[in-house]
Amino acid sequence: MFATRSEYDRGVNTFSPEGRLFQVEYAIEAIKLGSTAIAIKTKEGVVLAVEKRATSPLMDSSSLEKIAEIDAHIGCAVSGLTADAWTMVEHGRAECQNHYFTYNEPMPVLSCTSSLCDLAMSFAGEGEKRMSRPFGVALLVGGKDDDGYHLVHTDPSGTAMQYKAKAIGSGSEGAQTALQEEYREDLTLKEAETLALKTLKAVMEEKVNVTNVDVARIAPNYVKYSDPEIQEIIDRL
Amino acid sequence: MFDAREDALAGARQHANWSPYDNNGGTVLAVAGESYVICAGDTRMSSGYNILTRKFEKIDKMSGKTLMASAGFAADAVTLKKTLKARCKQYEFQNKREIGCVAFAQMLSNTLYYRRFFPYYAFNIVAGLDAEGKGAVFTYDAVGSYERTNYSCQGSGQALIMPVLDNQLKTVSPLVLPAASSATPLSEQEAIDLIKDCFATAAERDIYTGDSVELWIMNAEGVRKEEMALRAD
Amino acid sequence: MIPRRTAHERVIGPGVVPHGVDPEHDALYRGRTARGTVTDEVLRGVRGRPFTIDGKAREKAPATRTQTPYVTGTSALGLKYAGGVLLATDTLACYGSTKRYKSVERVKRVNDKCAIAFTGELSDFAYVCDLLEELTTEDFCEDDGTTRDAEEIYQYLTRVMYNRRSKFDPLWNSFVVAGYDAKGEAFCGTVGMIGTHYADDHVAAGFGNHIARPIFREFYKPDLTEEEAVEIMKSALYACVMRDKQMMNKFQIAKVTKEGVSIGEPFAVPTEWGYEKFYNPTKFSPGGW
Repeated sequence: MFATRSEYDRGVNTFSPEGRLFQVEYAIEAIKLGSTAIAIKTKEGVVLAVEKRATSPLMDSSSLEKIAEIDAHIGCAVSGLTADAWTMVEHGRAECQNHYFTYNEPMPVLSCTSSLCDLAMSFAGEGEKRMSRPFGVALLVGGKDDDGYHLVHTDPSGTAMQYKAKAIGSGSEGAQTALQEEYREDLTLKEAETLALKTLKAVMEEKVNVTNVDVARIAPNYVKYSDPEIQEIIDRL
Repeated sequence: MFDAREDALAGARQHANWSPYDNNGGTVLAVAGESYVICAGDTRMSSGYNILTRKFEKIDKMSGKTLMASAGFAADAVTLKKTLKARCKQYEFQNKREIGCVAFAQMLSNTLYYRRFFPYYAFNIVAGLDAEGKGAVFTYDAVGSYERTNYSCQGSGQALIMPVLDNQLKTVSPLVLPAASSATPLSEQEAIDLIKDCFATAAERDIYTGDSVELWIMNAEGVRKEEMALRAD
Repeated sequence: MIPRRTAHERVIGPGVVPHGVDPEHDALYRGRTARGTVTDEVLRGVRGRPFTIDGKAREKAPATRTQTPYVTGTSALGLKYAGGVLLATDTLACYGSTKRYKSVERVKRVNDKCAIAFTGELSDFAYVCDLLEELTTEDFCEDDGTTRDAEEIYQYLTRVMYNRRSKFDPLWNSFVVAGYDAKGEAFCGTVGMIGTHYADDHVAAGFGNHIARPIFREFYKPDLTEEEAVEIMKSALYACVMRDKQMMNKFQIAKVTKEGVSIGEPFAVPTEWGYEKFYNPTKFSPGGW
């Protein structure tokens, strides 16, 4: 894939003669090393599900947080460099609060994601706030606003795309194919929960249990599932 | 040591003095109905005992569903509206939709509050239709305190008009349960007549209100304007 | 040799600074005088040093000379008529109550579509003229066949005046702006010192608000001919000069028409001072002599 790489993969702001920004492409590659995250949009809400990969049996899996609330009506699942993800989540939270403060209304989901993408582009700018590299993280942002439910995928290039269902991370290729086959417009939220975990199960090396996955929904508010609730979904598989 | 010197000079010198504020007078009023809102204002602009012009419009359309009327210091009011119009446009670009009157109301409050220590000397009313299409009136003080009501009057004729509105438009308390609509029970035409009467009345006694009154009537069909002459003395 | 600071500064003003005001400077001059001889008087401050300033005091106190008007013009009038807009002022600039400069042109042609007249501080007006010159230069450089119209100039001046008042450093002027707007219709507006602005069929800045506008209100109609408008303007100027002590009987009327701006030659209005009571004001008053 990177056959033509040369000195053009050093600077984040230098195009290769073929018109590519290698550093950004590498950042997108970094996500493929991350744990799998899946999001499915239905008419009843958005379901987010992530794999929590503990690198050691001695590690406390509760410290692996890959699903976050941005505002009451927006949540996101992440894959890639989690520290970068938190920077973005914090930014999204601040933007949502600021929107509420200024306009006394919840921030529209797409306004939130585009402000996240603006942040993702801060490697390209100038001045004090300039980042030295692109963020190495992709987000699946789910939310509800006046226009209904949204599911948005953002990547390190600062591109935001709306999806009906999307998988990112190491198992994304297999998971995306599975989602494409199984997705229906009339999925209920419950069916989406099942589909999300089923797909996750198929691409995970370990056996799915309450400690190695996290699930959340936005329907219409963000709710993170408790262990018994996750167990209930696992039991349905 | 120089302070003392300056003070001594200031005492001796004939100082031409100035204030960053003026009160250009004027009255603005708004009434919200179940499915309409009416925003009205006189068109006189005064300074002291001078009438500066008889055709100064105090009402502006800020977005598709939002009207804003301001009395007080005209230069501040104009500047405030220009600033807010620009911010409405920015909102539109950022959120891919027009700003609603509730969001606009909060934005105006914040804008006024940020200038708390050098306030815009403007008395504002925001009138519009909310997300449900119901009439909404927001009334402000100069530093951003605001409240959603179903009718309000501000400016030089406020003391003359407000009691009449209270008498004619008072509705169910918002504290009553189960909640009842607090919109004025009047029909659109009845409300228009009442507003015209209010302005004719205020123009009788308030020297800063007169010349003519413009009414902006907003409902599901859109916005239309009416105008009525008032005393010009 | 140590250079001496000799500016005429407002902080101290031209004159003598006693010893002790500016310690740094004193240190430099310890043991010296202007003539190079040491005197006890200098050191004790009995005799000060001439024409020196206290640099620190200057930093503390911003210039205040720009905050009061010094040389001022009084009323400026504007009146629309069927074929254009008239502007009128006298040609006097007062220093306080002194009729100081008697042939000042208080009207400026901005471009073919716009002229302005001012009241208030003469030097602030010169500054505003510079700003407008910049706009005109921009228009010229853009070379796209358009120039800023009167309403644009009016809006621009409004922003300038409002922004300066918001900095608590106002330009001590009011303006009457006359000309044509973007639709090609006659425009007549005024901008005040703190940004107050409005457009009307007739306007007045300064004392003319009290004296001239009642006359305009009585005689204005939209289909005035130029001759009629000039007559109204002259009677307004006459009323002003009779009651405004800052006004002088030497006027200029400028007109903006589709053909452009023309600023007329100075003229006087006929006045009658020959009344007996003017010669002998107390003749018939009780107790007079």
